Parts: sequence; C-alpha cells; structure tokens
Amino acid sequence: MKSGKFWVRLLAVVALLGVALTYWLGLFITPPDVIQGQLVRLLYIHPSVAWVAYLAYGVTSVGSILYLWKRTRSLKWDRLAAASAEVGVVFTALTLITGSIWGRPTWHVWWTWDARLTTTALLFLLYLGYLALRKVPAPRDKVAVRASVAGLVAFIDVPIVHQSVVWWKTLHQSATVFNASLSPKVHGEMAWTMLISFISFTLVYLWMTIKRYQIETDIDEFDNLEVEAAIAERLREVDELVNSKTSSGTREAIPRDGGSIS
Amino acid sequence: MGVGVESPVDKDVDWKTVKSLRSRPVTATRAIMVLLLIAAALAFVIYKGISNAIQYFYTAQQAVAQKSQLGSKTFRLEGIVVPGSIRDTQSGVDFQVRFANTYVPVVEIGSPPQLFQPTIPVVLVGHFQGNYFWSNQIMIKHTANYVAAHPSRIKNAGGGS
Repeated sequence: MKSGKFWVRLLAVVALLGVALTYWLGLFITPPDVIQGQLVRLLYIHPSVAWVAYLAYGVTSVGSILYLWKRTRSLKWDRLAAASAEVGVVFTALTLITGSIWGRPTWHVWWTWDARLTTTALLFLLYLGYLALRKVPAPRDKVAVRASVAGLVAFIDVPIVHQSVVWWKTLHQSATVFNASLSPKVHGEMAWTMLISFISFTLVYLWMTIKRYQIETDIDEFDNLEVEAAIAERLREVDELVNSKTSSGTREAIPRDGGSIS
Repeated sequence: MGVGVESPVDKDVDWKTVKSLRSRPVTATRAIMVLLLIAAALAFVIYKGISNAIQYFYTAQQAVAQKSQLGSKTFRLEGIVVPGSIRDTQSGVDFQVRFANTYVPVVEIGSPPQLFQPTIPVVLVGHFQGNYFWSNQIMIKHTANYVAAHPSRIKNAGGGS
C-alpha cells in the first residue's frame, strides 16, 4: 500500500516536471512558426490535451466493457470508467478552450460550426451527460450498468471527431500527428517539444485518474461500512427490545432477525 | 441510502439514513433536469452541425459551378489568396482567391485577420453579387504543417557558414 502511494507521488512529480519542461521549451526555446509566428506556442498544449481526452474515453470504454461482461464484472471497472470519464471531460473542456484561444488570432473567430469543432462539442456534452446519468439515484449496480452502456454509446463520437477533418470540409486543419502516414509535419525542436507535451499530459491524466479512482473506492468502502454499522445498530436495538419484552413477560412471536431487512 | 428493519415489534421506528461521503446528494428530479438540459444542448449542437458542418464551405471552383443555384445566398467559400491581387480599399480589402484553375474576385468589407497574406488558404463568408464575391468575414485556414521561422538561427549565430 505504502509502495503504491510512493509510485503515485512519483508519478505526480514526474508529470509536473514534464509539464514545466513543456512550458519552458514551448515558451522560451522553440522558434516561432513561419506563418503563425508566436501563436504556434499553443500547439504544445492543444493537441496533447485533445489526445488525453481521447485516451480517457478509451479507458472509460474498456472499463465499461469489463463491467458489462459478466466474467469480469466488478465495481472496480465501473470506478475506473467513471474516474477516467471525469478527467476526460476536464481535458475536453481544455481542448475547446485552448482551441478557441488559438482560433481567434489564427482563424479570426472564437468558434465556428465546422465538423471538428461541432463533434468535439458533442463529445463534451455526451460525457457530461454520462457523468450526470451517474448521479441519478439508483442502486449501485444499476448505476454502473446504465453508465457502462452510456459510456460505450458516447465513445462512438471519438473516431468521428478524429476523422471529421477527413470526412468533411473543415476550417480546422487535418491531423498533425495521427495522420494517415503517421508522419508529423513539424520541425525538429518543435516536434520534440510536442512529444514531451504528449507524454507529460498523459502522465497528468494517469495521476488524476488514479487519484479519482482511489477517492471513489474509499467512498464506496466507507458507504459499505456505514451500512454495515447501521444494520448492526438496528439488530442491537431489536435484541434490546426482545429482551425487555421477554423480561416483562410479553409473549409474542418475534423473529430473531427482526424481520426482513431492506 | 437507507437501511431499515421491518419488525412486528418496532413498526413505528423510522428508517435509518446512512450518510454517504459523496458530496451533495442529488434528487432524481434534479438529476433528470440536468440530463434534460444536457440533452437540449446536444440537440442544439447537432442541429447546428447538420445545418453548417456537413457542407461547411464550397471551394471557389464548386461555388462558381453552382453560382446560379447559390444566387445571393450567404455561404462560405474556400480558396487560396492569389499573390499580387491584394489591394487595400476604404472599406477593407479587395483580392482574388483561386481553387484549381478557378479564380474568384473578392470584395472584403472589414479588416482582414493578422495572418492574411498572399498564398494563404482562406474561408470567406459572404455572397455573390455579379461577378464578385462580397465577403464580410475572412477566416484563415491553417495547414497541419508547422515550420520554424528561422530554423538555422542558432547554427548561423556566429556568422559562420
């Protein structure tokens, strides 16, 4: 357990250092772009956070499948799916915000309804809906089943977002890194900085998801303990009542277990 | 979350409520209202997507070919700014865009964006009026390539070859 905590802390430190390194390289070391000039510096954040959002929803889908599959059904998969979706929503919001900040001076608009932007907004809303669905009161296993189905349905939008720049005409440029030939057209140190950015934000995602998963696990365990304590307390009350009635000479048919527990 | 013991001897005893660590317990009504709000937002985005994103722009070539159907309707037109065609005017800027071998003269009302320059791909919002495309918005369509402005700046810092 202690060694687990150590690795999580180490992950946090490495992620933080990676992000700091990305900022330093992105802001001070890398050159301006021949057309965009200094605006290119947002390139070291925007594609990486978008990638993390895809990754997060991918993990949510895997967690959902593993929960729905009876052989692997366990609440731990549902917790993982939820934790990852929550982080994914944060990163999708960051994708939309950083894209908008870059779009205003580059494209000359904060927002436009092209296919990439529209499908990304859809993605954000779909997973926001996923998180809202989890809040609808229901037994824990029912929440997990509903959420798993919703998580898988929402994931359909991820490949659509990625392919939107290929399938439709868009203002948004085509994929820089994950293009058809998998050959990023980015100059030397700009490419290295971008790679460091991808790794750093992936580590940030991992750390955030692990922490969120741990919190969910702790809450579930706490809730179970509370329920067990409440049952024990009520059984004690029944025992006391039975004893007092027995000692006062009352003879009634009283079930030892106090009746049905719901 | 509630746990109750239904017993013939303590029927009037209240159900025990167990407090969860989860912040702010949400009622079903509230959760469903939030879901409905998200569903409405989804419907709006889908509507905007269908009415805009599917045919986000016409290339200059497509626009000229469909000029009679487009009439004076406002739409988005894509093309590359033709070098040597840019001319500042009192109301904005005039220039030409090209797609393949089709050229469209453009009258832009308003100031162009900071990255506006010859050979850059643009998406213009406007309509045809005669042979001209009257635009009131220029959007820059950036490529997926990122090229350093001065790739040799460090190597040549000392003036060496």
